[in-house]
Amino acid sequence: MTAVLDTRGVTKTFAGVQALSDVSLLVEPGERVGLIGPNGAGKTTFFNCVLGVLRAERGQVLLDGEDVSALPVHERARRGIGRTFQRIELFGESTVRDHLLIAERVRRGDGRLWRDLLGRGRPSADEVAACDRVLEQLGLAELAEEPIEHLSLGQGRLVEVGRALMTRPRLLLLDEPSSGLDRRETADLAATLRAVQQAQGFAILLVEHDVELVANFTSRSYVLDFGTLIAEGPTDEVLASSLVREAYLGPGGGPG
Amino acid sequence: MTPVLELRDVSAGYGPFRALFGVTLQVGDGEAVALLGANGAGKTTVARVASGLVAPEDGTVHVGGEDLTGAAPYRFARAGVAHATEGRSVFSSLTVEENLRLSFRRALGSARVDEALGQAFDAFASLDRRRHQPAGTLSGGEQRMLSLARVLVESPPLLIADELSLGLAPIIVDEIYAQLARLHSEGTSLLIVEQHVSHALGLCDRVVMLEHGAVAWEGAPEQAGERVAERIFEHGGDG
Amino acid sequence: MLAVTFIEDVLRGVLQGLPPGAVYGLIAIGFVLAYKTSGVFNLAFGAQAYISAGLYFQARNEWGWSNLAAFVLAVVIVAPAIGLILERLIFRHLPPGSALAKLVIAIGLSVALPNLFELVVGFEPVAGRTPEGLLNGGATVFYDPTGLYAFSRDELTALTIAIVSGLALAALFRFTPIGLQMRAVVESPRMTELNGIRADRVSAFSWALSSAFAGLAGVLIAPRFNTLAAPDFFNLVVVAVAAAAIGKLVSIPRAVAGGLGLGVLIALIDTFLPRLSEAQEWIEPIQDNVTPAVPFIVLFALVTLWPALRRSQEQSDPLAGVDPPPPVPAASVRTPFLTILTAVFGVCFFLVVGVVVVTRADVSWLFLITQAVIMSTIYLSVTVLTGFAGQISLCQGAFAAIGGFTVFQLADRFGASVLVAAVVGGVIAATVSALLALPLVRLGRVWVAIATLAFAAFFDAVVVKLPFVGGGGTSLLQGTRVPRPVLGPLDFANDRLFLGLAIVVFLACAYTVTAIRSGTVGRTLAALRGSEVASESIGISPTRARVTAFAVSGFLAGLGGAMLSIQQENVNYASNFAPFAALFWLVLIVSLGARTVEGAAYSGASFSLMDPLIFKGALLGWILRSEERIPGIFPISPKWRFVLFGLTTITFAKHPEGLVEDGKRKAHARVERWRARVRERRQDAEVTA
Repeated sequence: MTAVLDTRGVTKTFAGVQALSDVSLLVEPGERVGLIGPNGAGKTTFFNCVLGVLRAERGQVLLDGEDVSALPVHERARRGIGRTFQRIELFGESTVRDHLLIAERVRRGDGRLWRDLLGRGRPSADEVAACDRVLEQLGLAELAEEPIEHLSLGQGRLVEVGRALMTRPRLLLLDEPSSGLDRRETADLAATLRAVQQAQGFAILLVEHDVELVANFTSRSYVLDFGTLIAEGPTDEVLASSLVREAYLGPGGGPG
Repeated sequence: MTPVLELRDVSAGYGPFRALFGVTLQVGDGEAVALLGANGAGKTTVARVASGLVAPEDGTVHVGGEDLTGAAPYRFARAGVAHATEGRSVFSSLTVEENLRLSFRRALGSARVDEALGQAFDAFASLDRRRHQPAGTLSGGEQRMLSLARVLVESPPLLIADELSLGLAPIIVDEIYAQLARLHSEGTSLLIVEQHVSHALGLCDRVVMLEHGAVAWEGAPEQAGERVAERIFEHGGDG
Repeated sequence: MLAVTFIEDVLRGVLQGLPPGAVYGLIAIGFVLAYKTSGVFNLAFGAQAYISAGLYFQARNEWGWSNLAAFVLAVVIVAPAIGLILERLIFRHLPPGSALAKLVIAIGLSVALPNLFELVVGFEPVAGRTPEGLLNGGATVFYDPTGLYAFSRDELTALTIAIVSGLALAALFRFTPIGLQMRAVVESPRMTELNGIRADRVSAFSWALSSAFAGLAGVLIAPRFNTLAAPDFFNLVVVAVAAAAIGKLVSIPRAVAGGLGLGVLIALIDTFLPRLSEAQEWIEPIQDNVTPAVPFIVLFALVTLWPALRRSQEQSDPLAGVDPPPPVPAASVRTPFLTILTAVFGVCFFLVVGVVVVTRADVSWLFLITQAVIMSTIYLSVTVLTGFAGQISLCQGAFAAIGGFTVFQLADRFGASVLVAAVVGGVIAATVSALLALPLVRLGRVWVAIATLAFAAFFDAVVVKLPFVGGGGTSLLQGTRVPRPVLGPLDFANDRLFLGLAIVVFLACAYTVTAIRSGTVGRTLAALRGSEVASESIGISPTRARVTAFAVSGFLAGLGGAMLSIQQENVNYASNFAPFAALFWLVLIVSLGARTVEGAAYSGASFSLMDPLIFKGALLGWILRSEERIPGIFPISPKWRFVLFGLTTITFAKHPEGLVEDGKRKAHARVERWRARVRERRQDAEVTA
């Protein structure tokens, strides 16, 4: 079976400092994988390299076995990477459903230019139906017509997830989904995500600082520290390892 | 005795983002408090609220008994709060000497600047060798030393030290903590924000743990080591 | 021997280029100072320089002040005061990170300030009314220290002052406490505050200082112009931006060097191009126009090809993360109520216009109303680009001019059908616009604005003067004449018929624009406007959507420009389409509403009708039923509309959707509250019953 995401030796330097050195990780289809590490470990940089926001100096990013290292962000998105943002990025001045509709339309591909320009204005019935199915799954059905400005942060994150799901991703990258949410909201979000993921079977790579969420949500984890992978394996074992504790807590930080 | 710093029921964030949900925190006169927690728990935001960089949406901030809620950061600085911010906390385009001069002139008056410069360079010989070099060319450790040199000479009532050990070699971390201990012994109160707990625990009188933007645990450093690891890693159910 | 002459020529060119270069450098210094300390791309520096130059002239020549007194008033007192006022009243209150809003406001000020000054001081730009230099006999006394080039006293003064003040500023930065504080604020205002220093005071000081430099440069450059007029000073600031760009917009010494370098480059090209053109015939017609265009070409190239320049803006403030993300504009989804309200307004508006046309319209009113309709068509091009795509373009005037010139050329040379030529003009403008967009799609919005400004200035300086565009020398004598079209039995020489045609064209364009908004491209543009990263993350390619928007916008502007030329039966480039004239378009439409078709219509109406209808008191006269009863304060100077709309751009920071849309939303909210209250009261009544 080909891995959904396969990065090989990704290396990135900022002003002489190695932000990532030789990071290689695998995400299998349908898997939920965590990527954790202390502040400044390079998690966000790695994310950006996978998405194409940053170009790695060395190393490759393979998506379903295809090398996408040279492709721009939107081409990678069309090949099956969906994502959410740590600071939510919504479109403003539109409704919840509009967010999903535009993603659905992009997925269906560009038409003739003049048709895209003038025709195809109103969303078709099946476009709306496709969006509403996802909204239903995420528990957002009642908010479909709501202007985006009226949403809470937690709901906003779900809209981001919904928007990403409309592209039918093979891999969903979640960027610190718990940031800005309190404990209960985080748990709700995790439950919804898990349900949708199990129903649709895409893989998830979760970058997260909340260790509890990672422990509850993922089966396997990678740990980054100083731009290097220092541990990988089943999440429970990874979290129990003294190396990881030291990365988080400093030398001698963990008991035992 | 009035605490040097007091946050009462502070909620704060960045635009739609709430980072703190009703945090209450005191730093007593001469006390050293360690602020611990996983990243994203809101430690840096607490530090920023305490130095006026982030205005609370709710709650109050008192420095030395004076209500500074919503005041500009320069008023916090004049009330005696020094803040060594997370990451780079020196002006990288100014030289080492200019960095110090800028702060000394304001805090001590122009007459005492040269004397203060002398003191700072005596304490940090490595900075003396680089006094005319732009601070941006210093190594990470030297930059932290520079921000400490300023504080050491001015000896303000409160120093907020945000992640001073981040990304540094252990030997330099030891030196930084030695300087912090010296400051503390000279009477400066400390609010130490750390992710790496071990050093902080050795220095502080009291530990405050943050989780999801709220104070989760407060207590003596002796019990903290266990608690920290527990809270971060042994998350059984609702912790 | 030949080599010696060559070297002498080069040296002469260098010497000749230094004085103007020094003045560019001076403005560039001010520009960089303001940009560094407050993040404002202050295009209004041209206006500020103009005010000082005008005030200096007024004090000396009209009020009979001495040179020194006039200088003190214009440069030492008024110029810094303007800077302080702008900082205090406007720029201090803008959230960090709203670079585009700051730019738009600076554009508004570029339009408002010169007119406000002229109104307050009673200054009128008249040919020949330029002040002499600071020293008497500035233009008549010459010095020739090298035997190669004779500096006039004015030039020498400018050069000396520029060098001395450049050095003084460098010393201020290096050796004084305030200089140190300014450098600290440049790097991070917040970290400066953490040192106990009031960053806002430092920043106010640097505004005052930078504005003083603008004033100084204005007074020094004024003797070089034949007429003291705001547009020339606006062009000057574009040159200064080019100089500043050479210094990456952040380095003051390099900005001065950039200014001097541009001055020298221009002088050298001036020296050598004529010789080249003896060998190469094709150079001759454009020979005189290449040099003024050099700074614009340099600026455009730097903005599009030098990524380091664009990154210098995000110059790392380690505490930038403290800022909340820019506030979401108050606008949200349009409710059906708003749409109905809009339709009602629209119908009423056109009814009023219709009634006026039928009952009151003599030839001059007919002309103005037709102009309003055509301007609305042109403004639709801004609706597409600024309203839908969120891009600020400062070269819509050039696109409109392309339309006008196409009709002129095709009709004049080939006797082509005027209406066909108008459409061809639109297509050519669309093509140019799309090509221009290609290097711009990936740039930030502020950079797009600057690059389009450079293009507009280039078009103005070079392209218009090409024989196959503006007609060359013959058009100077005969104008760029355009005939009215004839379509079968319809002869549009009849003004009423032509108004009908203009309305049909406008409605067709308006329909197209609304269709675009709800189409795929429109939705894509809305997504990109909301969040570029998020759009890309769902597979949207920014290039396709943006280039399309530019092309559509270019077409609408070109078509509208053609219509305007047909109406006036002349292209009238300078008064209709020149870059500074077209700035007001943007100001108008941004103030009134860039997102909607009705915003474009109101802007068109305001452009043409506000002055005659309101300021000249005609409307009041109709209401009072007698022209004799119009109060004495009428007619109000038409300059007030520039001041009014220029200052209205300040609201852009809060209401990017424009005043009309904002007003409607507020009205809607009020109605909703009122309805809620009524409902509540009814329920209360039921409960008590």
